[in-house]
Amino acid sequence: MTTRIDRRQFLMGTSALVAAGAAGVMPAWAQGADLRLIFWGGQARADRTYGVTDLYTAANGGAVEGEFLAWNDYWPKLATQTAGGNAPDIIQMDYRYIVEYAKRNAIAPLDEFVGGVLKLDDFDADQLEGGKVDGKLYGISLGANSVATLVNTTAFEEAGVEAPTNAWTYDDLMTMGEAFNSANIRGGMKAISDSSYNEPSLDNWLRQRGKALYTADGKLGFEEQDAVEWYQLWAKLREAGVCVSPDDQALDTGPLESTMLVQGKAALMPSNSNQLVGYQALVQDKLNMVGYPRIAAGVGGGHYRKPSMFFSVGGSSANKEAATNFVSYFVNDVEAGKILGVERGIPCSAAVRDAVSPTLDEANQIALNFVANLGDLLGPLPPPPPAAAGEVDLSLIRTLGQEVGFGAKTPEQAGKDLVTGAAEILSRA
Amino acid sequence: MTARSLESGAPARERAASPSLWARIWQNDAPGYLFLLPWLIGFFGLTIGPIISSLYLSFTDFDLLTDPNWVGASNYVRMFTNDPKFLASMRVTMVFVIFSVPLKLAFALAVAMLLNRGMRGLPLYRALFYLPSLLGASVAIAILWRQIFAREGLVNDFLSIFGIVGPSWISTPQYSLWTIIILAVWQFGSPMIIFLAGLRQIPQDMYEAASLDGASKWRQFVKITLPLLTPVVFFNAIIQTIEAFKSFTPAFIISGGTGNPINSTLFYTLYLYQEAFGFFRMGYASALAWVLLALVGLFTAFSFLTSKYWVHYDD
Repeated sequence: MTTRIDRRQFLMGTSALVAAGAAGVMPAWAQGADLRLIFWGGQARADRTYGVTDLYTAANGGAVEGEFLAWNDYWPKLATQTAGGNAPDIIQMDYRYIVEYAKRNAIAPLDEFVGGVLKLDDFDADQLEGGKVDGKLYGISLGANSVATLVNTTAFEEAGVEAPTNAWTYDDLMTMGEAFNSANIRGGMKAISDSSYNEPSLDNWLRQRGKALYTADGKLGFEEQDAVEWYQLWAKLREAGVCVSPDDQALDTGPLESTMLVQGKAALMPSNSNQLVGYQALVQDKLNMVGYPRIAAGVGGGHYRKPSMFFSVGGSSANKEAATNFVSYFVNDVEAGKILGVERGIPCSAAVRDAVSPTLDEANQIALNFVANLGDLLGPLPPPPPAAAGEVDLSLIRTLGQEVGFGAKTPEQAGKDLVTGAAEILSRA
Repeated sequence: MTARSLESGAPARERAASPSLWARIWQNDAPGYLFLLPWLIGFFGLTIGPIISSLYLSFTDFDLLTDPNWVGASNYVRMFTNDPKFLASMRVTMVFVIFSVPLKLAFALAVAMLLNRGMRGLPLYRALFYLPSLLGASVAIAILWRQIFAREGLVNDFLSIFGIVGPSWISTPQYSLWTIIILAVWQFGSPMIIFLAGLRQIPQDMYEAASLDGASKWRQFVKITLPLLTPVVFFNAIIQTIEAFKSFTPAFIISGGTGNPINSTLFYTLYLYQEAFGFFRMGYASALAWVLLALVGLFTAFSFLTSKYWVHYDD
């Protein structure tokens, strides 16, 4: 990152020259406006992002100073900077946090720039809607994605088990798991990771039952009985050895490298469509993706096209218009789109999407096709989760799933604790 | 230095009652304070200032992004009446302190006594044994620990020699905290160095006299070494207890910041961090921090109060 800044400074010097030369034709706000950009992600994302900032600077003048961190480090840093009145101009934002930041004016509404510097003519309507809080536009989606089950197709071939398709159900999962156990490949590889404490898996399962994790007014969208059945379902799968053991699953602490799929302990794992690229880089086996399992054959509606992440403009930014101009460039410019690929999800601008799709490699193609062909799996976009959703996930969903797994709680007890605990957290926040 | 010069000089100055009193103080002490200035600025700006503001924030609902609102003692009330995670994390930290500190001190003393026998290459061994203390709190070691205590890790490889099939120690709730306690004990270097220095202070003629009187090695240890070493034991115990209460990094890295499995490694400090930077409840986290401070203060005060019954300062 240090070398990056050095290179930035060098670029700032050169771009100032370019800007000076072009100053005559540039709007006033673009002249010498240095923007700060912060995002989470790995090196691959950073390389693509900086490719676009360089392109932007060359075309528009005004340097864009980038900084990136891992997800876990990103939010404390952003919150601290925001509290100190020192937030960057352009902030990568997540669906989980956008309401919290918008309500506190830590990010700015962009409605005044729409049609001006912010061009959204061929932008996907559902993705635009996802960036709104209380009717105002606070975030521009950088790509659409969906939850997806990653499939280690090589392992399935080895086990002689037919790999799942988008039609698969939880019953199929049970059958596959048993077949996997009798095949006993790679020292007892299981069919799937323990997804009982994977929040998106629970959400998807609830949506198929016509419920949701959260309602539009930020309350719990399901009953105790739902939660109990969820834990019972996974207790059954665990007992049959369809999913990995709880002490193996507990080794997954978040990083891609620690997941059951990469560790070779499970052939299936719930994830997101844009992450196939990242996972494929870590395993030798060939990966594919299908939807999450259906609760019964033909039942759909669990999935949705989620804005994978947004760019928002800092509420205290002195260069809101320039920052918005950069965001518009980032999502609309075809050359920028070619650099970015689908690493942040499927581009939301139709023109960019058309230009990008022929240039993609296989892993990216799989992701693009999956999101484009969700069919009846697709349901409506749920409202942004309440601010305390992160705490419900960390304090309850993950812990309770483990407690059932290790036999410290019955599914009935865990279901009850989830509902009462979540209600308490939601009312507190 | 300042205090002493004021004490001794005060009566004389009063008698003189000269208008030059302040001038003299200025002359005598100003250069000292001037030299201290960089440290003082840091101390007041970066230590005392934040500590006081955190005391204020502990009575507010500060969430980092909006201005704090005064909520009275409700953070503290909630902590003690309606927060199972507070109790759970307190339990984890207490177990950690109660087991890791005595084990670490015992281990440090044992190694120090071994090294105190005037062996060849002592500086080398001393450095080697001190090494874990330099590395122990680091991220790399915490990651290494995950590997050692995993299902296919070093520990289970060793156990398999005896036909024992061990679990994945690091991710099984009953054992995960113990792997972190072992990690703490392994970092015995700094108390060991201090013990070693303490052992060197014990006059050899005492041992010679005891041997002549026919005292066994064990009796010599109990009757000479330990009593004369108590000031050092006391010092080490206090420092290590405070360190143990503050322990954060190993649990954070080993559990990926979650305190899992099933909150078995949810150290108090980790819970505090989650509340502060995970859920943005800075007010509540500040209150947690002050409770920890009070607790450490109580422990230390208790140690000092009881010290006169077991620490021997006959110099």
